[in-house]
Amino acid sequence: MGTTEPESPGEIDAEERRLIDRSAAGDQEAFRQLVLRHYRLVLNVAFRAVGEVSAAEDIAQEVFVKVHRALPGYRHDKPFTHWLHRVAANAVTDAVRKKKPVLSLDALDTLPLAGGADPQDVAARHDLQRAVRDAIAALPPHYRDTVALQVFAELSYDEIAHALDIPLGTVMSRLNAAKRILREQLRAVLDNGDEANTA
Amino acid sequence: MLSHATAQDWLIPYADGMLSNEERQRIDGHVASCPGCREELKSVRLLNLLLVSLPPAPPVAFAPFWLRLQAALPAARVPKEKARFRLYRRAGLAFAAAAFATLTAVSCAFAAESSLPDSPLYPLKHAEEAARLALTPAPQRGRVQLSIASERLREAQVMASSGKPALAVKSVRAFRLMLPSIVAGLKQESDARVAKDEVHALDVELTGVQEANATRGDDDAELKQLVLSSKDELDSSREVGQPLIVPTVPTASPSATPSVTPRSTPRPTPRPTKRPDPKPSDD
Repeated sequence: MGTTEPESPGEIDAEERRLIDRSAAGDQEAFRQLVLRHYRLVLNVAFRAVGEVSAAEDIAQEVFVKVHRALPGYRHDKPFTHWLHRVAANAVTDAVRKKKPVLSLDALDTLPLAGGADPQDVAARHDLQRAVRDAIAALPPHYRDTVALQVFAELSYDEIAHALDIPLGTVMSRLNAAKRILREQLRAVLDNGDEANTA
Repeated sequence: MLSHATAQDWLIPYADGMLSNEERQRIDGHVASCPGCREELKSVRLLNLLLVSLPPAPPVAFAPFWLRLQAALPAARVPKEKARFRLYRRAGLAFAAAAFATLTAVSCAFAAESSLPDSPLYPLKHAEEAARLALTPAPQRGRVQLSIASERLREAQVMASSGKPALAVKSVRAFRLMLPSIVAGLKQESDARVAKDEVHALDVELTGVQEANATRGDDDAELKQLVLSSKDELDSSREVGQPLIVPTVPTASPSATPSVTPRSTPRPTPRPTKRPDPKPSDD
């Protein structure tokens, strides 16, 4: 059951629209093709959020189950990917909230921002990434959603505004406030990284 | 000239590349002359570097991902026609389930009906008999009682044959408890031959129990005694019943339909006929 690769953005939209409509009507093959198009994106968002493949897969599964359930109500009034990102962001923020992050700033003192393949460096990077995830998880919900879309889904301000149905200015102010909080939470590692950079 | 406060507000979108060229130039100008904002911009850029350090997911095969997802998805939605068919199918399934339940209940009832005293279903059998007796109209109750009594003797015979005399005794005792009302009912039987046949049938069954008990080397004395006394009781009803059971009396009706007394009385009383008997009696 191969999929025909659409060539232009217009064709992509038309093909995606067809898949969405058929999926909404209960066509599982159409939904399979829709999932095939977007599962990497959702997995990346989830993995960046939780840092574990199995947990990321669980989240991605949950996202697509929600999408499948909600598809009959989808009205094509916004790009499917924006809608998908929103569902993914909600699932991700729920998942990271449930993980109850424990952020130890003391442990960040010696963390490198970048490193080689040395096992110690790898372990340190993992700890650093966990610290970043935990710091994001500890944000207030509306900030967390916005940051999740920027950091985990790599969306632009404009795309975040569309995905969350909020004005661009609100995206800016939320990210501003959220990053100030993150900066404070990750102060230790940022100072350490700054020293490393200036050394 | 950009104020320090505004510049600080714009540092994050500036680092994210979200400002226009004009806005960028204004920030550049301020940062160049403000060591505090310069430090803060450095910190913001470092934070961004930290945030983008989160790697993407390693490759995940689609096939297992889809298979797992497919299993989690609800059953495929179907068009209305199919949905209607499914409704019928559901109704059919419900009917089948109900039929199965009924069949099971009926099977249980049948199983209970034929169960023996050593069966776990035996109490059900008694309950079913009691219900059947209670629901039977009075005129037919005697028949039901007879069949139940006959069943007690059948059970006793099987139990006696199976070396379970205690259970056989119980069945014969149950039979004996019913015997007086059975005898009374037979006395009211309008057809003497029917009554006679019933008595004979019960006697044969009692003999069956007796023989089943006797064929075993260790025949049960209590059972033997119970069967004998039951036979005596039946015999006495037969002796007494002989004149009580009313034979059919031909009437003087031109249609030659035998007139039957509505109930047994000590003496047969032919109905008075309006017409003279076409065949005069011997006397």
